[in-house]
Amino acid sequence: MPDWREIARQGLGPLHFEAERADEIIGELAGHLEDLYSDAVRQGQSEAQAVQSALSAAADWDELRREIQLAAKEEIIMNYRVKTLWLPGAFAIALSGIALRLFEIPSASSPSVFWAQTGLVVYWRWLACLPVIGALGAYWSRHVGGRLIERAMAVSLPALGMVCLPLLMFPFVLVYDLIRFHSFPFVPMGVLLLGWGVLPEAALLVGALPFMRGRVANPEPAAASH
Amino acid sequence: MSERAFNIGAQIKRGSAELAILSVLAEGPLHGYEISKRIERQSQGLLSFNLASLYPLLYRMEKRGWVKGNWEGPAGGRRRRYYRLGPAGKRRLVPLREEWGQLFQALNSLAGVSHA
Repeated sequence: MPDWREIARQGLGPLHFEAERADEIIGELAGHLEDLYSDAVRQGQSEAQAVQSALSAAADWDELRREIQLAAKEEIIMNYRVKTLWLPGAFAIALSGIALRLFEIPSASSPSVFWAQTGLVVYWRWLACLPVIGALGAYWSRHVGGRLIERAMAVSLPALGMVCLPLLMFPFVLVYDLIRFHSFPFVPMGVLLLGWGVLPEAALLVGALPFMRGRVANPEPAAASH
Repeated sequence: MSERAFNIGAQIKRGSAELAILSVLAEGPLHGYEISKRIERQSQGLLSFNLASLYPLLYRMEKRGWVKGNWEGPAGGRRRRYYRLGPAGKRRLVPLREEWGQLFQALNSLAGVSHA
């Protein structure tokens, strides 16, 4: 009987898994091939025919290797994004919300108006907290292996969240103002985006800057064992 | 296998392959070869898996917690990796069956396609 383990090992070629996991996969596939072969022999096929019959189940080893590695990578990429982007990002959003609530909302009746003519409202104490929050988010993302893009995205989430609502409302405000005042509300919307989007984003990124440097040892999520 | 047989990995969406695997594992633990044979037999040879369509899918399902694989076998004898349904797989099987039942009902109403 052929050495099915060796056939599977040769067929698959190098697998980007830990040795133990790769060995398990090879052993499992070899067992399957052996079962196919044994069944074919039991049905009266010659040994050569039975070998061919078994090998036909793995006609494309390259595809098999690709699919197995994709199956492992799919989950790893998902975990990688959760770990390096969504968790630090959610943390930053939560801290940002808490800071806004603690330092600003109670005194919302007298917000810090920076530029009265345009109505630009700047919550200074909240803004002052954002660099610290950005630093924490970027540090977290870098610590768990986030690349530059994940670190930047994670710390940007609080500001992105703040501008999402105005952006969603923009078409309705646009239509309303056009009908009511026959004018485009670009200035108020711009001021809104500046106060809740651009300035907070800048503050977050300033805090994150020290943690934007430094590459992680192995930034790419690589396939590994379970 | 009949001439009408088609490769499940290439011709049917992954959802139907998942349903097939979860369904046979609902009857009890099986190793990979048994899973493929059981599906082929119970579908009268219409559905078949090859290595490239079966094992990557099993590994995906295992990572999702739908199935759990364990090496079993006599000491000194040949060991095989047996798969059994995990709690998440049991939960997944119910809506999958409903979804595919509804799909076949819809096709039946539309084009007289029956899954019986």
